[in-house]
Amino acid sequence: MKRLLNGNEAFAYGAIVAGANFYAGYPITPSTDVYEFFENNGEKYHVKFVHASSEVSAVNMIMGASIAGARALTATSGCGFSLMQEAISYMAADFVPCVILNVMREGAGLGDIPRSQGDYNQMTKGGGNGDYHSIVLACKSIRDCINMPRIAFELSEKYRNPVIVTYDSDIAHTKESVEINISEIKNDTNELDWILNGNKTNNPKRIQNIYYHDKGYDNNLRNKYELIEKNEQRYEEYETSDAEIVLVAFSICGRICIDVIKKAREKGIKVGLIIPITLYPFPQNAFKKLNCCKKIIIVELNILKQMRCDVEYYTKQKYEYHSINSMSTCPTVLDILKYIEEMR
Amino acid sequence: MYDLLCEGCGHRSAMMLLDEIIQEKKIKEKTILALDVACCSLLIDFVEYDSIMCAHGRVLDVTKGYKEMKKDNVVISYMGDGAAYSIGIEEMIHSARRNDDALTIVINNGLYSMTGGQVAPTYIDSSNLGFKIEEIISNFSITYLARAALSDKENINIAKQYISTAFDKYMEKGGFSLVELLSPCPTNYKLSPKDAANMINEKITKVYKIGEFVNA
Ligand code: SF4
Repeated sequence: MKRLLNGNEAFAYGAIVAGANFYAGYPITPSTDVYEFFENNGEKYHVKFVHASSEVSAVNMIMGASIAGARALTATSGCGFSLMQEAISYMAADFVPCVILNVMREGAGLGDIPRSQGDYNQMTKGGGNGDYHSIVLACKSIRDCINMPRIAFELSEKYRNPVIVTYDSDIAHTKESVEINISEIKNDTNELDWILNGNKTNNPKRIQNIYYHDKGYDNNLRNKYELIEKNEQRYEEYETSDAEIVLVAFSICGRICIDVIKKAREKGIKVGLIIPITLYPFPQNAFKKLNCCKKIIIVELNILKQMRCDVEYYTKQKYEYHSINSMSTCPTVLDILKYIEEMR
Repeated sequence: MYDLLCEGCGHRSAMMLLDEIIQEKKIKEKTILALDVACCSLLIDFVEYDSIMCAHGRVLDVTKGYKEMKKDNVVISYMGDGAAYSIGIEEMIHSARRNDDALTIVINNGLYSMTGGQVAPTYIDSSNLGFKIEEIISNFSITYLARAALSDKENINIAKQYISTAFDKYMEKGGFSLVELLSPCPTNYKLSPKDAANMINEKITKVYKIGEFVNA
């Protein structure tokens, strides 16, 4: 069936189709539509909804539900996402899956609610304490918002690690007509072998990240992230094979850059585009295939050029790098085109 | 038993009581033990139950999420007084307010023991008035609230009776149950195990009354 949905509603439907069966949350703009969706529709779609008393509670509740075999999720933004970091670190260390939507907001501190991509470092580098990563998936369209929860749950269960799905408030609140099929819902609890259900075999299972006797902890974590980095890089590439200039952008900026390369090609300028879907693991493989690239332009919505650091690092600083960036003012197609023409 | 704990530690008495009760009620196969950090985490390598070590103060959130998905299991929320009444007091109050199906054991020794005995909100002396959970959550419609002491044989028997009642209520009626156990920490009291237990009888139980406060 065709529905007109914004990104947050699409994400919620996508989660239901992916088999989500537990949601705990605390409202915060611009992610609140997701909370309201599950508050109002949870029962109808067999998703247990809990009003948590804070983001700290919400994320720990989804940890508990996940340990019981649920496909558990929450959605938040900005400072709410910050409050979840301790539990995310625990789940990474405990090998517990979960899905968290972070609809980014502007600035540091309370900031404000316009579009922004300032949580790039927090999401991709850790955010909580210690040696871990979350897998981070970025959506650039309402269609992505529908599909991403399924990918997120599958990756989180495959690696037993938290997965963050992210986009900015332009994607959260833009409406598009999309096809959804909610008849295929399957939301029983998982019975994966590590799930706790009582010790029935004289072999107790433990969800822990402090080990007084078993010393395999560091290797287990190291192996997990090596495998993720090797196997799970995801990206979209547009006209990169002969491109002399390559744009790198995610979420709303990626969306805008798709139009930039069309316009640039009409003018005979060889521009390509890489849209990272996984922000962690960073899709470095995409850059290995560039043959003619001399210049890279990173278009992002944060003042510290957070993604640019990764692009320079993973491409070993062998190109000329440019940034089009601001805290929350999205460049237009024409702005980016003008920059490209002047840069040449 | 529970070899990482110090001699005379109340956690050992508490866990042995839980082991006895779980065995008597024949519920080991459906018991999940969720532990807080610090000295509670010293138990995790030894317990025979499926177990979870939670972030500090977040046990009741984790068990809430778990219990919602597996309603037939017996999920014990086990924590110290720092977790229960300091860093986790918000979770405690809201869990009681919602009357969650929760079976909560609080080991109260008045201190942050793992870090060397800094005073917790429960500590009592001339300038610290302590923290009595019955003054906070008794007016919510919870199922059971009691306090016992792990200080001598007689008190440990009372503790067993209260914990056993909490288990029965949890399994039969549901709702929020909490048993607080006044618990010696000889290491940080800088007393022998015997003197630490005597101190609980002579001083602590004068302020923290033993008994059942809610039995619905
Ligand atoms: S420090 Fe105190 S609470 Fe911790 S194990 Fe030793 S006696 Fe028990």
